[in-house]
Amino acid sequence: MSLPALSKLAEANRPEQFALLEHATERFTRSSAVTALLVRGSLARGTADRLSDVDFVVGVEDSQFEEFISVLDALVTTDLGGILPGWQDTIVGSMGGLGYVYLIGWSGHLQQLDLYVAPASAISRVQERTACQPIFTRDPAAVYEPDLGAARFVAETMAMPRSCEDLLIEALVVGYLIRKRITRGQEFIAYSEGFLFNTAAKNLIKTALAPTSTFYGWYQLKEEIGTTPIGRECLNHLMALISTPAIPTLASLTEGLDRVFAVANMVAPEAVDNLREAIDAFRYYLELP
Amino acid sequence: MLSTADVDNEVLLGQIACLQSIDTMVLERLRHEALTVPDEQMWVAEYSRYQSGGWSTLSLLNDSGVPTDVRISDCTPVETTLLQRMPATRKLLASLGLRYMWVRLARLGPNSFLWEHRDYDELDGSERQRLHIPLMTNSSATLVTGGVRVSLRPGRIWRLTPTHVHGACNLLGPDRYHLLLDCYADDRLAELAANEWVDEADIVQLPEATEAELQGRFRKALSLARLGYHQSAESYLLRLFYERSLPEGRIYDLIAELYDALGDFGASGQWRTNKMTLLGVAGSRGTA
Repeated sequence: MSLPALSKLAEANRPEQFALLEHATERFTRSSAVTALLVRGSLARGTADRLSDVDFVVGVEDSQFEEFISVLDALVTTDLGGILPGWQDTIVGSMGGLGYVYLIGWSGHLQQLDLYVAPASAISRVQERTACQPIFTRDPAAVYEPDLGAARFVAETMAMPRSCEDLLIEALVVGYLIRKRITRGQEFIAYSEGFLFNTAAKNLIKTALAPTSTFYGWYQLKEEIGTTPIGRECLNHLMALISTPAIPTLASLTEGLDRVFAVANMVAPEAVDNLREAIDAFRYYLELP
Repeated sequence: MLSTADVDNEVLLGQIACLQSIDTMVLERLRHEALTVPDEQMWVAEYSRYQSGGWSTLSLLNDSGVPTDVRISDCTPVETTLLQRMPATRKLLASLGLRYMWVRLARLGPNSFLWEHRDYDELDGSERQRLHIPLMTNSSATLVTGGVRVSLRPGRIWRLTPTHVHGACNLLGPDRYHLLLDCYADDRLAELAANEWVDEADIVQLPEATEAELQGRFRKALSLARLGYHQSAESYLLRLFYERSLPEGRIYDLIAELYDALGDFGASGQWRTNKMTLLGVAGSRGTA
């Protein structure tokens, strides 16, 4: 076999994430506000498989950071084919920026795009705290001064309460993650994400039915929510969710998603309406019934 | 949920309607052929000004017999080599007994759009209609005409009058596949259209865009453009056609105003020209 033929074969069998990575890099760097792009996670470590996510750090000029975040959903939707608004990542550590997880319809499959967007002045801190590889630097000699406005915006955004729609998106994104863990046979991570999924369902119920609750986490749910028929029905769904096996299976995930949709239809129908087409696409790509 | 209560069915029937149902087993065979026979490399993305990219076609009946010749024109068509490999599709087309001008298989990928436009502007004065036979679709794939969003349900033959302003989208995927039959008007077509109908379940009246919504959309598009994402800003505005009812061409005006605000008068002038071309009001040529 000749080498060009081998190269052609390698190109034809290249994992789809690389095409998404290239496409996203080309699109993000069109803006002069983007100062740096770094790849994190398994792609940076060289341990990626065909289910790996594309994990980016995006450095943005401090003075344009807020404006960049304000258009991020629109940018990912129009340019990359995001099927949902970004889920504000509550797992990623605090490194001076904001993390988002997007689900992208790409080459007939759903791909996960993790974006950690940081002010340019915070990029060196990100590099210290996480294993990443720079793939784009606009001006290697540039020095970026911190902007107090950007830091304040990050703090305010992280402190904002989540809406029912945010929490439904969280359940969908975490559902996607669990689906991936099941396929890979990663039981321990699936277990932890199963808890995250149930917590998103609990938070959805609390946000809709007890929005002013001052009780912590899972406390006082029966007293605050279980006093009305709709509240009891929601808690019945929640009880069923937490009673499933600790390590999710495809069947328990499918049932869990159905329960979350049932809860959302009862307590936050507007959120479901806004995401109805995205939910259909999500079911299709995850091959859920 | 958006309401269908205000849809004027008479007006809508002039733009789009169902003509006939297709047997489920026949549909499954048509779908199987569409998904398996064409080679991936064959698909042709023609009419680039009218689309976002992601809309591609292959000809089944055309003037040359070559499936990759997809720019339509008046002709007495012949079978392409592709149709010869699709017996169920061939049989269906023959059974309909229509006087075809051109027949294509069209694929609209996820996150793909045919922008607000009119068709047939470049053709002669013969009366013709376009029939759609949806083979595969999803809930985010819709056609918008007259401020109404229509889900073209598979299992039916749909008639579209493409000289009305319309656009199509597939927001989220999977791919949408349609057969597109451009037909000259004759007794057989009239017979098919004799009992045309529209199901309320397939249509949604889009709400009118409020001034506040337009301003909010414009501001975000301006932010995208100021950051350097001009193409995204344009797409972000163009997508509004599928979400809100707007006066004809208003979106193209918004894009021109966006470039005016950026001081890029070359681009704003180009979009004013695009508007005339896409809406077929400038004696322009070249539509899908």
